[in-house]
Amino acid sequence: MACLRRGVLGKGFYRFNNKVNVRCFMPSFLVNAKGLYKHYGRVVAVNQLDLQIKEGSIVGLVGPNGAGKTTTIKIILGLLRPDSGEVEVFGQAPWDNPDIRMLIGVVHEKAFFPAHQKTLDYLKRACRIFGVPEDRALEVLTSVNLEDAYDRTIKALSAGMLQKFAIAHALVHKPKLVVADEMTANLDPQARSNLLDLVALLHKNENVTFLLSSHILPELSRVCDSVAIISYGKVVASGNLVELYSKFTARVLRISTDQPDVLAEPVRKLGYVQTVEVDSRGLSVRVAEGAEEKLYEDVPSLAKKVNAKILGIESGSASLDELYRLVVTKGGGGTT
Amino acid sequence: MKQKPKGRPFLEVFASAVQEDYRFPLLEIFAFLYALSTFVFAGMSFGGYGSSEQSAYSLVSALMSIPLNIFMLLVFKNIAFGLGSDLEKGTIQTTLSYPLKRHAILTAKLLSAIGVALLLLFGIQILGLTVVAAGIIREGIHVVILTYVASLGYPLLLSAIILFVALWVKKGGLALVLGIVMSFAFSVIQGIALIIAMFNRTAVPFQILAIINPSMALQYHYSPITSFGGIVWNPSLIEVVTDVCACYALVALALALCYYYFSRRLNL
Repeated sequence: MACLRRGVLGKGFYRFNNKVNVRCFMPSFLVNAKGLYKHYGRVVAVNQLDLQIKEGSIVGLVGPNGAGKTTTIKIILGLLRPDSGEVEVFGQAPWDNPDIRMLIGVVHEKAFFPAHQKTLDYLKRACRIFGVPEDRALEVLTSVNLEDAYDRTIKALSAGMLQKFAIAHALVHKPKLVVADEMTANLDPQARSNLLDLVALLHKNENVTFLLSSHILPELSRVCDSVAIISYGKVVASGNLVELYSKFTARVLRISTDQPDVLAEPVRKLGYVQTVEVDSRGLSVRVAEGAEEKLYEDVPSLAKKVNAKILGIESGSASLDELYRLVVTKGGGGTT
Repeated sequence: MKQKPKGRPFLEVFASAVQEDYRFPLLEIFAFLYALSTFVFAGMSFGGYGSSEQSAYSLVSALMSIPLNIFMLLVFKNIAFGLGSDLEKGTIQTTLSYPLKRHAILTAKLLSAIGVALLLLFGIQILGLTVVAAGIIREGIHVVILTYVASLGYPLLLSAIILFVALWVKKGGLALVLGIVMSFAFSVIQGIALIIAMFNRTAVPFQILAIINPSMALQYHYSPITSFGGIVWNPSLIEVVTDVCACYALVALALALCYYYFSRRLNL
């Protein structure tokens, strides 16, 4: 604790021999946002949003377009000031705070780099800015399979390559927290897979914490241990993926039938049924709390009336995609 | 442990801004234009010799007349297509992810946009003065300095306004257009002021305009405005210095507003 006596900078920091350290005085959450509110004119982008990210976790930020994901990320990065509410990153306010930027890697939704500079030169400059050896530049380029493009100008990169370059740039200073807005956008499936492997590897080996915003939900479910689902600027559900699945899919039943369209109509009319999704093999039915047994009882008689054959009824197991739909769409449930 | 480099981020952001602002062959073209206008076209506006002070003023004015316009063009371009474009395209967000305070980022950008352009201008001007008339300059060095300071007040004030507009609207092109329009508008206003002053025999319009462009006061200090045989305006040296100070106070105010807005208010 000698280091603490040498000058505490804030709740989560101290500086010793011109080095910013977070290890000995780590706040309980790397990111702690409470009651964030931000509006643009009449549009409320973020509305009383709460978000906590623990060290060593991979959190997915999920939500439809315009839900407030990018605004939330910008507030966390100190690019936007919230109208009200508080946010702390590494225990400090992020606005105009150079200390925490040593610890954060950022991948923006669109890659913003000076177009005329060469990739390796630009990364070397980033290395010098962050005070890491310049060899690191080629190392990160290689980690995203972009080593062959080391002498290309940034404007000569394709959209996918630019995205990879943005990721390399975010990792150049070995950050403790990586905040990525649509990190896998513009990437081909192989590159996406490789990148998710890299995320998993960095998480496992270096305990890097990730906040990933994405529309491609299966990817998030592959790497994330928890998600925050945002709708209309609010976190409508958040927590461990397993817990969320059990909470939101317990009331979803899967009915396999030979005539899904015919059976859907009377099932929808049942008072306790909240949503019915039809596909070629059957129905996914969401019911009110405690009404699962009733559905088991009612469906055979309904099927008999419309001459449909029931092949099976079972408790639903949803993908993150389905979970997201369940939470965000009508009757999706409340905030956790 | 994370090393927080001292000073290095600022220099690197500055170097990056210089690389973008003066991409080949821009620096070379502007250096050529400065040299051409200093050494070739200066004679066209040289007002001739008088007292040592007047000679020094005439010489510096002649050497500065065209390069000053080129300087304005370069600075406007740098602000509009450098910082303005960074804001428009979002490149500034990457710069803001570096361990550097916002005011330091703005300083680095301004040093590149204005500082380097000034260095280039003065490098060639000093060379020009030394080659053309070192003796005259030595005798009237205070006039030389005052002339340069007074001449730069107006371009710097316009640049600060353009910078503020670029930060406010986050569009470099719009700020550039506004800068050019303001520049032309001021020339027109100056012409109207001259007519008003001549016919009404009043110096008030010039006294107001001299706060924005103190080089006018210096010009009329050495060659007064006359109308129908009478002197309309012949400001004293004290008045000139006051106008220069007032102009730089406006520049400082505009820049302070820019710094405040960029550091405390600018949401991206």
